[in-house]
Amino acid sequence: MSERFRNTLTVSLIVVMAAVLVTLVVTSPMREDRVQSIGDRIKCPVCQGESIANSPSQMARDMMALVEERVADGQSDEAIIDELLFSYSGAVLLDPPARGPTLILWIAPLGGLVIGVGVILWWRRHPPGLGSPEDPAPQRSRARKLAPLLALAGAFAVIVVVAGFFLQDREGPATGVANLAGEDLDDVSNETMEAVIAANSDHPQVDGMRLALAERYYEAGDFRSAFPHYLAVAGSSNAAETEAVTALIRLGWMAWEGNGEVATALNLFDEALAIDAESDTARYLKAQVLWCGAEQRDEAEGLLEDVLADPELADESRDLIQADLDAIRSGGSCA
Amino acid sequence: MRNGLRWLGYGVALVAVGFAVVLASRFGTDPGLVDSPLLGQVAPVFDLAPLEGGESVSLDELEGDIVVVNFFASWCLQCRNEHDALTSTANAFGDDGVTLVQIAYQESPPNSIDYLQTAGRSEHAYYLADPGSRTAIAYGVFGIPETFFIDEDGLVVGKIIGESDALTLGATIDAIKRGESPGQSVTGDTQQRPDQ
Repeated sequence: MSERFRNTLTVSLIVVMAAVLVTLVVTSPMREDRVQSIGDRIKCPVCQGESIANSPSQMARDMMALVEERVADGQSDEAIIDELLFSYSGAVLLDPPARGPTLILWIAPLGGLVIGVGVILWWRRHPPGLGSPEDPAPQRSRARKLAPLLALAGAFAVIVVVAGFFLQDREGPATGVANLAGEDLDDVSNETMEAVIAANSDHPQVDGMRLALAERYYEAGDFRSAFPHYLAVAGSSNAAETEAVTALIRLGWMAWEGNGEVATALNLFDEALAIDAESDTARYLKAQVLWCGAEQRDEAEGLLEDVLADPELADESRDLIQADLDAIRSGGSCA
Repeated sequence: MRNGLRWLGYGVALVAVGFAVVLASRFGTDPGLVDSPLLGQVAPVFDLAPLEGGESVSLDELEGDIVVVNFFASWCLQCRNEHDALTSTANAFGDDGVTLVQIAYQESPPNSIDYLQTAGRSEHAYYLADPGSRTAIAYGVFGIPETFFIDEDGLVVGKIIGESDALTLGATIDAIKRGESPGQSVTGDTQQRPDQ
């Protein structure tokens, strides 16, 4: 068998095989009806690599029913597929689209075929042992020997990086919604806090958020909204002592300020002081109610003196309390 | 020239190995975790009947509201876990221009109704049936729970894949109210119907 004949035979075989492959790919959909053909191209979104035409899942059956309906409506194949692409993106296609980043997946096999044919032809024409006049001298510098290796390593790295970029997960931007949960509570609305509290009412750490929300309402003068949250914190067995004291003090002040309920307010202040007898706020506000609501000046005076005896009391507060104390002692009415 | 051919062979082999590495790294990743192409687009319309039947509810009717569309089912554990958060969010924002639409996913209405009877409902939410999964397909649902956020202009501006919580839901709505587009986040696994 001559060299030329072997070369011709090899190339002919490759060409015939390629032609058969192309024919199979191009003509196979022609044998099927349109619904089946489209179904074969669509990947079942809830399956592992199955088309909706072949999957028994409910989702696949529903999608096939949709395709059937669209075909019956006279829509084109591409229009039907585009409708699904609009919802699912290219992830719903079994074959990657022959455009954009996935074009390389279609070109690569063809390129491989061309290179392979070229290599075989060259090999046939230059069998081992014949040598080549273009062969370089056997003695090369070390650097020249390493250069191709380095070039290949660089090309390898580039291929991995580029392919990784095109094939990477598209899980959304780093500023996705889940990251919002980690934001400062100042950016979280009252409604969100209400929802979180309602959904986690049994959670042992919810009292902190309850108190923060109640304080927002309180500072806005919305006692009605603040009340249930303060009440829940005051009655919670999970609340920290400071949280319970704050809630009781606020409840006491709202009872007095909002409804003029002296006895209720005093009871709540006493409950707070039972937990923290050194609470300046509880003592000061109780003194206010005793003075303004119950005319019990002596007891109010005693409480304010106790507060003033606290060496850690802020200067501004000290001035305010001293002014109240002076007013009580001089028989003045509360402001 | 023979050396050149040898290097060409090495090169082809390395390219093949490179692709193999990249493709191998994809094993085990969920193909459903792709960016929703709906983000930034006009939300697919729906016109669905409540689970109990009766007058249907369309997205057009809710124009001007922030609409939270959640796909759920009683057989979905993550859906059960997040149900209280969805309900409390609907209640908290119900008077503030936010509507929750929960669409039953591949489940018969009686089963969904039984489930909601136990799990609870919000008076600010709609609970709808989706015959033929048409709305689920239109929203590109891969598994549940999936939750979509539609702004006042009818654009899809957010999506949560997986179980959500009240803080995430509320913070997302807060962001939309500030005019932001929160985008997509994956908070956990999704589930397929057990018989699939």
